Amino acid sequence: MWVAELQAIMRAAAGSFLFGIPLLYTVEVWAIGSSTNALRLLIVQAVTFVVVLLLTQIEGFRRSLSIKPLETVLESIEALGIGIICAAIALLLLRRITLETPLSEALGKLIFEGVPFSLGVTLARSTLERRKPQQRRTLDAELGLSLNLRSTLRKTGQKSVGSALGNTLVDIDVTLIGAIVIAFSIAPTEEIAIIAAGMPPWWLLVVMGASLVISYIIVFASGFTDRAERTQRGLLLSPITETLLAYIVVLAASTLMLVFFQQLSSNDPWQEWLGNVIVLGLPASVGGAAGRILA
Amino acid sequence: MIEGSGEVEMPTVETASEAAVEKSEVRSLAEWITLTISSLVLLLVVGLVLYDWQISKNLPPAFQVEVSETTQLIEGQYYVPFTLKNTGGRIARTVQVIAELDLPDGDEETGEQQFDFLSGNERKQGGFVFEHDPQTGDLVVRVASFGLP
Repeated sequence: MWVAELQAIMRAAAGSFLFGIPLLYTVEVWAIGSSTNALRLLIVQAVTFVVVLLLTQIEGFRRSLSIKPLETVLESIEALGIGIICAAIALLLLRRITLETPLSEALGKLIFEGVPFSLGVTLARSTLERRKPQQRRTLDAELGLSLNLRSTLRKTGQKSVGSALGNTLVDIDVTLIGAIVIAFSIAPTEEIAIIAAGMPPWWLLVVMGASLVISYIIVFASGFTDRAERTQRGLLLSPITETLLAYIVVLAASTLMLVFFQQLSSNDPWQEWLGNVIVLGLPASVGGAAGRILA
Repeated sequence: MIEGSGEVEMPTVETASEAAVEKSEVRSLAEWITLTISSLVLLLVVGLVLYDWQISKNLPPAFQVEVSETTQLIEGQYYVPFTLKNTGGRIARTVQVIAELDLPDGDEETGEQQFDFLSGNERKQGGFVFEHDPQTGDLVVRVASFGLP
């Protein structure tokens, strides 16, 4: 029992560091953390909890492949706790938090760095464990509210439509996870704004086109996946449709990440929103495509 | 074992998960300990944020600059250390400290230093370097500007 639990914690810590390290070495994240006020810090922590809770439905750091709703809440709390402890160790190690650091600054850095570390804990199994394809966690949905769309679909009994839609949803959430894995450490950097500012408006269309083409190449044209198998699955998804749908998901994820890191606020003109989102959409769609072939 | 693909039917899912998770049905003592420690860490962090919120309120930043008496002479240049403190509540960015040394002969020397982040009650240290002895002239060190995050 103790050995198994210790292993689970070590697995969690491994995933945590793997995912958290890139953001640890990003000066913008310390700065954002330092200058965020208490209310926003609490909101950030709450949003992280919700994201971790959603991810825990399908991922996690324990080996269990089926999970009850209450258990996902408890495991999410553990993921946040372990994430924060790992982030604290790393920040102390790099002397970003020392005895002289004022409380508010230390807390800001800890909470912001705690986000990738906590996500890393939740994604530990999927990033570090070799597993059979589609060996994902399912939620025992009978017990309560179902956040997991797939289990709901399975219950509806419309098997043919349900399974196709189910596959599509699997593709969407692996796209999301892939996009987050790659783009989360890029989102807080100033480079996004610099690149976006240096582009004439029509050039954004070129970037969009490139994002779609690269995403298409990775998933369908590179021979990484069995094309026949892919085309069997999916609802109405011809390769083109799937690529487009994934790109929309990726843009939504990019927007959320930029807002999360306060790179975009309601004071910014919509042109800036558009530019930044499309620029971040390029690495995010690469991540999303990689997520789909690895899932 | 194909789970979550949606292609599988209900019974398959159940047997598969049963096999995979006998132990996770009930939390072990070790798992409860992990949960307890994690919850405590979370509560501590949230508690500290709330505490910090209470003490800092929304007081605007205010600054205090202390110039040290101990000027050091190194290779013909005078080093004047100073300490900058934010006596207000909120954090200030890009706090600009300037020093003006008015010499008796009418000459003037200036220095400038910028601090990126200065939280409420935080102290930061720096120094100005002059060609002339600050003791002989009139030295003023003050905060000239700052930004809000």
